[in-house]
Amino acid sequence: MMPHALSTPMIEVRDLRKSYGPLEVLKGVSFSVERGEVVVALGPSGSGKSTMLRCINHLEEYQHGEIRIEGTSAGYTTGASGRKPHSEAVNARLREQVGLVFQSFNLFPHRTAVENVMMGLIHVRGMPRRVARQMALARLDKVGLVEKADEYPAKLSGGQQQRVAIARALAMQPKVMLFDEVTSALDPELVGEVLRVIRQLAGEGMTMIIVTHEIHFARDVADRILFMDGGVIVEQGAPQQILSTPVANRLRLFLRRYQGDYMGS
Amino acid sequence: MFRVLAASLPYLLQGAVMTLWLSAAAVGIGTLLGIAVGVIGTTVSRIARTIVTGYIFVLRGIPVVVVMFLGYYAFPALGLRVNAYVAVGLAQIVYVSAFVAEITRSAIGSVPANQIAAARSLGMRRPAILMQVILPQATRIAIPPLLNNALTAIKQTSYASVVGVWELTYAAREVVERTLAAFQIFLGVMVIYFLICYPLSLAAKWSEARLSFSQ
Repeated sequence: MMPHALSTPMIEVRDLRKSYGPLEVLKGVSFSVERGEVVVALGPSGSGKSTMLRCINHLEEYQHGEIRIEGTSAGYTTGASGRKPHSEAVNARLREQVGLVFQSFNLFPHRTAVENVMMGLIHVRGMPRRVARQMALARLDKVGLVEKADEYPAKLSGGQQQRVAIARALAMQPKVMLFDEVTSALDPELVGEVLRVIRQLAGEGMTMIIVTHEIHFARDVADRILFMDGGVIVEQGAPQQILSTPVANRLRLFLRRYQGDYMGS
Repeated sequence: MFRVLAASLPYLLQGAVMTLWLSAAAVGIGTLLGIAVGVIGTTVSRIARTIVTGYIFVLRGIPVVVVMFLGYYAFPALGLRVNAYVAVGLAQIVYVSAFVAEITRSAIGSVPANQIAAARSLGMRRPAILMQVILPQATRIAIPPLLNNALTAIKQTSYASVVGVWELTYAAREVVERTLAAFQIFLGVMVIYFLICYPLSLAAKWSEARLSFSQ
């Protein structure tokens, strides 16, 4: 579904390359995400999916290529004199618009659930506490956790913590949400509640990039699937096409390894 | 049996009051100074970090009594007349602050990197990340070692007697020279030091149990 086919893409990644010392983890990744589109990145561990996400909101620096968010260059300005890193303030403004949810939740352990969600509203947006709390409670309600608002993260299950983390990112009203293997650290019985929240967001038209190992979920929720391996996008297309008629050998091998998962639908 | 001790107790307690004053200055000012040094050394700039690292590195390798002697003789060497209490108090403040700076530095360093990533991903700027995420978590990590360090500092005030500062240990040595009842006097001194440290010992024990995030 691409309602604004002629407008600028929400996210545009062009020839993204990143290395840690001599090890190149992203070897020229290019793709774009339209407004309201849900893109799922699949691939074996170490294929560069998570690093790619962290480059998009510039938690990671990269050496080559360009990332644009609604046409605005993220992280660097490329001009006649070469490539200049943006100031920390410019990067922070970018991150406000890009929500990121981590594999390990990363809630602030010294703050209650609702205070976690209020953090950005107060300390980035400068909202008064009372207004921020009302807004944060509404977000917690959305992920079904308003009754846990005053609990500390240590008292919540993994699935509940991850839903609070989603609410915390949503509170900033981001244009895009990035999900970095958000169910990988969860017990199997807690995965469903988190996926349900993401599915609901997809239904509301949120633009998302989701890195996951849940192939079944990917087929359900994705408008498009990217299959990454060895720091490049090996194959991309509609879920049906990628999962039912894979072309690349590496993708077929990957799917066979997850077949139990996938066939069990 | 403890007649000499009982008779000397008021004198020893006067010494204990002096010990409390020295302790309060060393622990109170030394801790505040050390926290400031530690925070500046980890957050301001690379130059600040290098200076603070050097400060900690040098002072950690010197016995406190040597620092006290240096403090005691530094002012006359500069042509200044300073009261021995002030000189020794300042020396101990500097000494304590180095250890507190190291505790602070390591507590800040042990806040997990993904906490900072989470704060940055919300668009938080560096001062807000420091005040809202790093320092509150580092404080919890630092409190038990800070209390232990305070206990050490209190006991270290007894070295001041070597430099000629009159406090509990000095008073005890005077009484012993006069009465020769060394054993019972130092037994009494031991109990007084223990009682001074007891509340902090309790606090240290309590804080280790209560301040961790996972219950």
